[in-house]
This record gives sequence, structure tokens and C-alpha cells, in this order.
Amino acid sequence: MDFGHYAPLWGEALLTVLAVLVVLLGSLMKNSGRLMGYLSLAGLAVAFGLVASNLTLAKPVIFFFDTISVDGLSQFFKAVFLIVSLLVVIASLSKYTGKGAEDYYALLLFATVGMMVVASSIDLVTLFVGFELASLSTYALAAFDKSKKNLEAAMKYFIFGSVSSAFMLFGFSLLYGMAGSTRLADIAAASLANFGPATLVALLFVIAGFAFKMALVPFHMWAPDTYEGAPALVSALLAAGSKKMGFAAAFRVMLIALIALRMEWYLAFAILAAITMTLGNLAACWQNNVRRILAYSSIAQAGYIAIGFVVVGAAYGAAPVTTFNGVAVPAAQLGIAGALLLVLGHALMKTGAFIGTALVASTVSGKGQDNDPDDISNYAGLARRAPITAFCMLIFMFALAGIPPTAGYIGKFVLFSSAIYSGLVWLAVLAILNSALSLVYYLRIISYMYLKEPAGPKISEPKGYVAALVLALIAVVWIGVFPQGFIDWALQAAAVLLPQ
Amino acid sequence: MYADYAYLIVALPVLAFVLCIFAGWHLPKGGGFLTVLATFAGFILSYGILTEIYPDKIVHQSMPWFANFNVGILIDPLALVMLLMVTFVCTLIHTYALGYMDGDPGGARYFAEAGLFTAAMLGLVYADNLLQLFIFWELVGVCSYLLIGFWYRKPSAAAAAKKAFLTTRVGDVLFLAAIILLYNNLASLNIALKPGEYLLQFPVIYAHIAQIPPAQLTLIALGLLGGAVGKSGQFPLHVWLPDAMEGPTTVSAMIHAATMVTAGVYLVARMFPLFYAAPHGLTAVAAVGAFTALFAATMGLTAFDIKRVLAFSTVSQLGFMMAGLGAGAAVGTVAVGVSIFHLIGHSFFKALLFLCAGSVIHAVNTNDMREMGGVGKYMKWTMYTMLIGSLSLAGFPFFTGFFSKDEIIVIAYEYGTLINFLPYIFLVLAAVLTAIYSFRMWFSVFTGTARSDYSKHESPWVMLGPLVVLAVFAFGFGLAAQGSFYEYLDTNFEHYSIDFEELAVIGGHAVEGEHGAEGAAEAESGAKEGPGEPWYIQILPIIIALGGILTAGLFYWDKIKKFDPDQVTGDKDPIRWMLLKGYYQHEILTAWFAETVVYGSSLICNMIDIKIVDGWLNWLSAWVLGFAGHVRKVQTGVIQNYVAALVLGIVILVIVITLAKEVGLA
Repeated sequence: MDFGHYAPLWGEALLTVLAVLVVLLGSLMKNSGRLMGYLSLAGLAVAFGLVASNLTLAKPVIFFFDTISVDGLSQFFKAVFLIVSLLVVIASLSKYTGKGAEDYYALLLFATVGMMVVASSIDLVTLFVGFELASLSTYALAAFDKSKKNLEAAMKYFIFGSVSSAFMLFGFSLLYGMAGSTRLADIAAASLANFGPATLVALLFVIAGFAFKMALVPFHMWAPDTYEGAPALVSALLAAGSKKMGFAAAFRVMLIALIALRMEWYLAFAILAAITMTLGNLAACWQNNVRRILAYSSIAQAGYIAIGFVVVGAAYGAAPVTTFNGVAVPAAQLGIAGALLLVLGHALMKTGAFIGTALVASTVSGKGQDNDPDDISNYAGLARRAPITAFCMLIFMFALAGIPPTAGYIGKFVLFSSAIYSGLVWLAVLAILNSALSLVYYLRIISYMYLKEPAGPKISEPKGYVAALVLALIAVVWIGVFPQGFIDWALQAAAVLLPQ
Repeated sequence: MYADYAYLIVALPVLAFVLCIFAGWHLPKGGGFLTVLATFAGFILSYGILTEIYPDKIVHQSMPWFANFNVGILIDPLALVMLLMVTFVCTLIHTYALGYMDGDPGGARYFAEAGLFTAAMLGLVYADNLLQLFIFWELVGVCSYLLIGFWYRKPSAAAAAKKAFLTTRVGDVLFLAAIILLYNNLASLNIALKPGEYLLQFPVIYAHIAQIPPAQLTLIALGLLGGAVGKSGQFPLHVWLPDAMEGPTTVSAMIHAATMVTAGVYLVARMFPLFYAAPHGLTAVAAVGAFTALFAATMGLTAFDIKRVLAFSTVSQLGFMMAGLGAGAAVGTVAVGVSIFHLIGHSFFKALLFLCAGSVIHAVNTNDMREMGGVGKYMKWTMYTMLIGSLSLAGFPFFTGFFSKDEIIVIAYEYGTLINFLPYIFLVLAAVLTAIYSFRMWFSVFTGTARSDYSKHESPWVMLGPLVVLAVFAFGFGLAAQGSFYEYLDTNFEHYSIDFEELAVIGGHAVEGEHGAEGAAEAESGAKEGPGEPWYIQILPIIIALGGILTAGLFYWDKIKKFDPDQVTGDKDPIRWMLLKGYYQHEILTAWFAETVVYGSSLICNMIDIKIVDGWLNWLSAWVLGFAGHVRKVQTGVIQNYVAALVLGIVILVIVITLAKEVGLA
């Protein structure tokens, strides 16, 4: 067997083997939690290195009977997933070190592999398998600390997730029935329009399944409860990582398999995007629980990212509208690239923000059941209690609101300008108004951290958390200050989805 | 080889900023020596670049930033002399600050902010595109805000910082509008850019000025002028500069005399071809400059606070520089050399004067000249260095200020012969007043007898050293550099493809006199002498300087005192009071306009606002938040409801999309 041929998939293979190994070694050795943490970290770092060394491919590499494709797009999403997992593991090293920690790391690795498989899938069955691998692992992770809140969060997540999976699978089966194949390319080649209303039902069931992961309104209801109730580091993985898996899947299925139904999903995503960002931001204004604020903020962000679909739907195949750095770029490509940049930016900002909440919550957890560790009052005077955390949170909040020079700004800039170029001015205006509205709750957190009297004594900031926070901070600012390389990268990844 | 490290000129002070802000309080003197070293390294690098590219090369480096923008470094003669001046003067002022800020608990913060300011100013100077220049321009503004309000617990300092920030913001908005306008105009030209070229890069702008409609050019020029007026404290946005003296004296010297306030002049010089091509662009510059020069000089005559005298003097001298640039309408690019020469010379002697004032204040502990007197007995070094600065400011023959100001007055005369004599007259009067107020200040501080009980000691050498160095330059720079400086700066725009004759036609300079095109051609040839002014015009500045100093002496020098200023004008003299009160600007602008007119009308607006606008907005926000409250209630926490919403969502989507298809929306 020619192993070199499979070089682009070594990352996934390594993580799978490592996950099994972590479970095995962990049950054999005593007190190996910390060691397993470092092992996972090393494995993820190597996998990231493998992906990073092969970021842009001139041509897609296809494996396993046309079910797995390694191309610019898959590499982009894999890089995002690996970055999120890396940051979460780094932070976890300060929390999950004791008994049973090996399960945590193994589940995290499996979830990562699942997400990576989804990023590469060009076949509905493979995609579903990856989806479920990631989902099942995260269901277990959401309950990992076994508190009452955890269990409730995991239960809601699981039930909602199962129903969504059922819908998605039903949509897939309809597509299979119509096209006679589960390969995305074959579905694209079949003339789906002949099947009348069934196509619309299939399309919307598939969208509902993806929208559950992406947390688009009204498929978002699990998200606030789960993000609030799950262990904070798992929330980081869910909001920043597995949510993006929904986008990875949706981009491929919509743009490759279902491009013939472009006008239908264009409309569906236009409605979903508009409702999602508006409701997400509105609901966030009223929350007092910081993790719920972040949950609604990430729902709103998903609404922004979904604009990418609308832009592609509106401008698919249209002539280039603008030059970026001397290269002519069509609006559709710009739209996908903007969505990808926001995916990347949001992954970094949200991971960081949730790690920040984990740090704060860990200092007040001794206060009993009724006292909510994530309540915003715990953030009062954080700037003096935990200066590094507060500063990082400050930048993440600004980045989430889209203030330059941060990753959040660059993503929104590219995405919203693509919306304007493709004639969706109403959507761009709505998105910008929403960004302004979002400042209400981001600034509220900042004002608590910087303007209020400290709510307690100085906190010693655990090294793992701080390392993850600072890394995320550097990345967020770096992308904001030197965006061109990332924009080019996203444009290249976007080109995979468009006819050459 | 030095040019390869040009980025370090900005990077090192930034590094000093980072180190000082995070580790400053662990270091001796707040880490101030880091800022000094970083700035001095910048000077060495700038000097190295000078040796490499002098006399006929430029440095241009650029890398893509994002979208259609780049970051880049452009060092042409104009940028280079500014780099040298800023690094040199800032090095001296930072050194002086080591002594001056010694013992201040905020020392680390001071040197951090000073380092950041230096970096921002240098970045502004060698930016190769307008957007980058604007970003550093704003950063400079932020640093200025921080440093004016350095003693932020003092209410007047906090208020002054706010005033400076808000006033300059008016100009900055115009500047930004001009950039957007310029970008749109350039973008609509569909220029075929070569790789590595970007729309807002100066060479690209220069090359395409002629294709922009003249009316647009004028709008852009006025916007840019607005920015320059705000930053350089020109009328009517000059009000913040005297108040800015609330900061430490070193800040006043560095930011509000020698470097930052010259950014506006630099901007006009940098965009000179655009101003030249814009009909009435330079006329506006000349008018603003000349008026400010005289207006501020009259106020300098009556102020009692030594730093305010110097602040008004700065405003006035910046007016000279602006007027000099404006005179470019008549003499072409020669004006840039003349004006920038005065800018550089001014930065030497004004920094010197401020540092001397700081030295006096440091010892005497008051800013009020009425409480000084006879200080010269105890502070010999300060006295003589300040004498040199004052002579230079007054334009005493063979001092730096003599050459530079004289030349501006001469080109203003040429502007007069071709276009309008008003700026010339204003500048001559301002020059007379300059000589008077600078020696009124010097005599009343250093001569006579002590008018209050102040502590009598000379400042430490770390402060006197920079004074002596600056004094040498305040005296000798003009004499030494005069000829080669003009020649070098005259080559500045030869590095770009600019057809000044064509621009002169667009700007209407050829129509207004036969000298127009000739002036442009003359700029090309680099001839600096005007076409022969009468001898009395040439000699007039000397008479002005000597006469002004003598007049000041008759009033304020105890040895030859003939008049008592109080008796000549009387205590109630309305003109004196008008000047003392700064033309009642405070009364008019703040007390009357802001507090009566604006407040009164704001009460009416308030009524409308509360009843109608706010009512509507409150209703809207209450509705939004109320709606948000309902949105929140949807989240019941019951999983059955969630799944129901999911199903409902799909059903609604099916219906909506089917309907939309029926009516042909999709």
C-alpha cells in the first residue's frame, strides 16, 4: 500500500490513532490526565503542521472512491478546526488534569477528526458520518463535568441534535432517491427540478440539518442553553469549532450538489440570515449571563456568515465586480471569502471569549448552586482583578463588534462589501445596523470589566488559560493588521467552490 | 543599506513605547533612556539614508496591505529633511525630559507616550500613501491628547486635552472627506495600475492630478486644508493650541511647537501639486496663513503666561509657513523649499525657546512673566540660549529665523506683484510684532529685578545640554544650510511625473500673469532668487527685526526703558484688553456662542428633541428592547418547544419560498 499517496490525510489518521491511544493509555496508567493533555496537544500541533504545510493546493486530491477531497477549502476549514481545538486543549491543560481527563481529550480529538472529515467530504454519506462523529463526541463533552446544568445542556443538545440529524438524513435520502447517488457531483448532474415540490422539501430538510449546527434562527434554540450549561471550554469548541462544521458542509452541498436550486436556497438563506442576525443581537441585549450573551452573539455572527450564501446565490457566475490587489474578483468569490474570513475570525474571537469566561467562572465556582458563576456582575472590575484576561476579552469584544484593526473587522469588511457589490444593499445595511446594535451588549461587558469597582480580590490567572487567550489575541490582531495574506488565502479557498 | 532598515525608524520608538508602558516602572527614570536611544537611532538611520540618497535619489518601499491599499515608505527630499528634524529635535527634547520629568510619578507613562508620539510622527512623515498618512495623523492626535492631559487629575489639563482633541477632529473629518473624494475621483479614472502601484500612493496621485476635474480638485484641496488648519492651529481652529500648554513643557516643545503642529504644513507641502492645480487652492492657503500669522502675533503681544506667548508665536509662525506655501501660486515649487526651510528652522528655535521657558519654569515655579524678572542673574545659560532663540525668532540678521522668514516675506511680495498684496502686508506687520513680543518676553523674564520670591538656581546639565545644542542650530542652521537646502528641496517633485506647466494651466496660474508658467519653469530650474525685488523689499526685514527689538526694549528693558506699557495704553484701553482677552474669543466662542447661542438654541432643540425625536427614538428603542424581551421569552427552556420551532421553521420556509416562486421573486 502506498502511504505517500495518502499524505494529505495523515492529519486525520494521526488524530484518530491518537484518540484511541489516549483512551487506552489513560485507562492503563494512573493519574495520566495531564500527560494525555500534552499528548493531544502534540498530536493536534502536528496535524496542524501537516495541514499548514499544504494550505493551498493547485488541484483537489480525491480519495476513497470520490468521497473525500483535499482542496483549498477543506484545508481552510481544517486549519480553523485545528486552531480551535489547539486553543481549547491549551486552556484545558489548566483544568482537566485529574481522573477521567483522558476521556475528555479523546472525545475532543474524535470531535476534531469528525469536523475534519466533514470539511473534506464530497459525498453525503461520508459527510453524515463525519457530522455524527463530531456531534456524538460533543454531546458527551457537553455533559462532561456532570453538574446538573451540564446534564440539562447536554440533554437538550442531544435531543435537538438528533431531531436535526433525522431531518438532514431524510433530506439526504430524498436527494439520493432523486439522483441515484450520494456523490455531490452526481447530484449536481442529476436534473432535480424534474421532481417538483419534493426537491424543495429535500433542500429545506438538508438546510435545517446544517442550520442546527450553524445555529441559525429558528434552529438555534439549543445553542444558548447548551453554551450556557456545558463546561465553558466545551462551549468554546461548540461555538467556535463545531458550528463552523455546519458551514463547511453547507458550502459544499449548496454550491456543488444543489447549485441548480440556487434561487431557492438563496431565498432561504436571505430570510435565515436576516432573521438570525437581528434576533441574535436583540436577544443578547437582555441577557445577564455572559455565556448567554456570547451564545446569542455567536448566533448573530452565524447570521452574518450566512450572508455569504445569499451573495453567492445572487451573484453566482456573474462577471468580476472589483479588483482586489490587482486581481479581478467576482462578487460570489468575494462573498464566500468574506464568509470564510469571518469563520476564521469568529473561531478565534469566540474561542478566546469563552476561555475568558471559563477563567472567570473557575474563580467563583465555590459559591454554590444558585450563584451563577457566569453572571455579568462577576465581571465587575475584572481589569484590576485579572488584567490579562480582561484585556484579551476587551479586544475580543471589539473584534466581535467588528472594530478595526481586528480579524472581525476584516471578515465583515470583505463580506459586507461583497453584499453591496452583488446588489444586496438592504442586507448589507441590515448587517451594519446589527453590528451597531451589537455594541450594546459588547460594550456592556467592557464597561463592567473596566469601569466598575472590582467584585473580588485579584485572581491568579492559570497559565493554560492565559496562553490560549494570548495566542488567540495575537491571531485576532495579526489578521486585522496584516489581512492581505488571509484574504488571498480565503479567496483561493473560495475558488474551489466556483466554476473555473 | 541604511534604507533597507528604514522601517526601524518607526519600529524602534514603538518598541520603546511597549517596553516603557509594560516595564517602565522597573527601570531607572521610567525607561526614558529607551525612548531617547530609539529616537537617536532613528536620527542615525535618517542621516545614513541622507548620505546614501543625497542628492538625487529617493527611497520607495511598499508592500500590499489589504484590498486596494498598501503600506509603504517614501523618503524623498521633503520627507528626509522632516525625518532628520523630527528625530533630531525629539532626541534632544527626550533627553531634556530625563531631567525635567525626573521625580514625576507618571514618568514611565510619559516616556511611553512620548515614544509612541515620535513613532507616529515619523510614520506620518514617510508614509507613501495618503491613507497611511491619515492613520498616523490620527495616532499623533491621540498621543497629543494623552500628553496634553498628562496631568489628568488637573481639571484644566483634562479640559485642554479634550478641547484639543475635539477641535482637531473638525479638521480631521474634512481631511478624511478629502481622502474619500480623492479616492473616488482616482478610481473613476480607471487607471491601469502597474504591479505594486496603489491608488492613494503619492506618486500615483501626483501623476493623475491633471485628469481630475478642477472643481473636484478644489474641493479636495479645501478638505486637505481643513485637516491642515486643524492640526497646525490655523484660524479658526487655532483655539486648542494655546490651551494645549497645560501639558508638561517638554510636550509643548515637542508636539505643540516643533513637530506635530508642523504636520499640517507638511501635508500641504506633500500635496503641493494638487493645491497648485486646484483653482484657488493656494489662494486659500495664503489667505489663511497670512491672516493667522498676524492675528496670533497680536495676541502674543499681550499674553502674560510665558508658554502662551510661545504658543501664540507658534500659531503665528505656522501661519508664515502656510502663507509661504500659498505664495507658491506665484513662484511655483520654490515655495515648498522656502516654507519647509522655515519649518525646520522654526522647530529648532521654537523647541529651544520652549525648553528655555521650561528651564525657567522649572526653577521659578510659575508661568506668569509678571512674577519673574531678573531671572538672568541666576540662570546664565538659560538666559543666553534663550537670547539666541529670541533673536532667531525675531529675525535678527544672520540668525536662522532671519533667512527663513525673510525668504517667505520675499515670495509673499512676489505673490503680491502677481495676485494680491494683502498677504504680504499682513506678514510684514506680523514680523514686526514677532520681534516685539519675543523681546518683550525676553526682557521681562531675564532683565530687571525679581518681582516675586522665586527659587534661584540653574537647571541641571541634562537640561542645559540640549539647550546649547539647539542654540547652535537656532543660530547657525540658516547660514549654513540656506543654499543647499533650497536646491535639495527644489528637486523634490522632479522624482515624480508631474507636469507643472499643465497643472498651472488647470489652476489658472498662467492666466493671472505672465509669471505663472514662468514660475513653474523656474521651479524646475531650481533658481531661488526672485526676479529682482526692489532693494527696500530686501532690506525691510532687517529694519523690522531691529526696530521691533528696540521697541520692545523701550518698553520692557530697564536699562533703556522710556515708556511704561500700562501708562501708554492705560489700564482700560479697549484695544489692549481686546488683545489680552484674545479678541474675546473665549467670550465669543465659548461664553457667548457656545454657552448662550448654542445653549439657548439647544434648549429649543432640546424641546423638539425630547418631545419629537427622542420620543420617537425612545419609542423605537423601547419597542426594540421590548421586542427583544419577547424574543428572549421564546427561549422557554423546554425542549419540546424548541423542536416545535424547528418544524415550524421548516414549514414557514417552505410556504414562503413557494409563494415567492409563485409571484416570481425567485
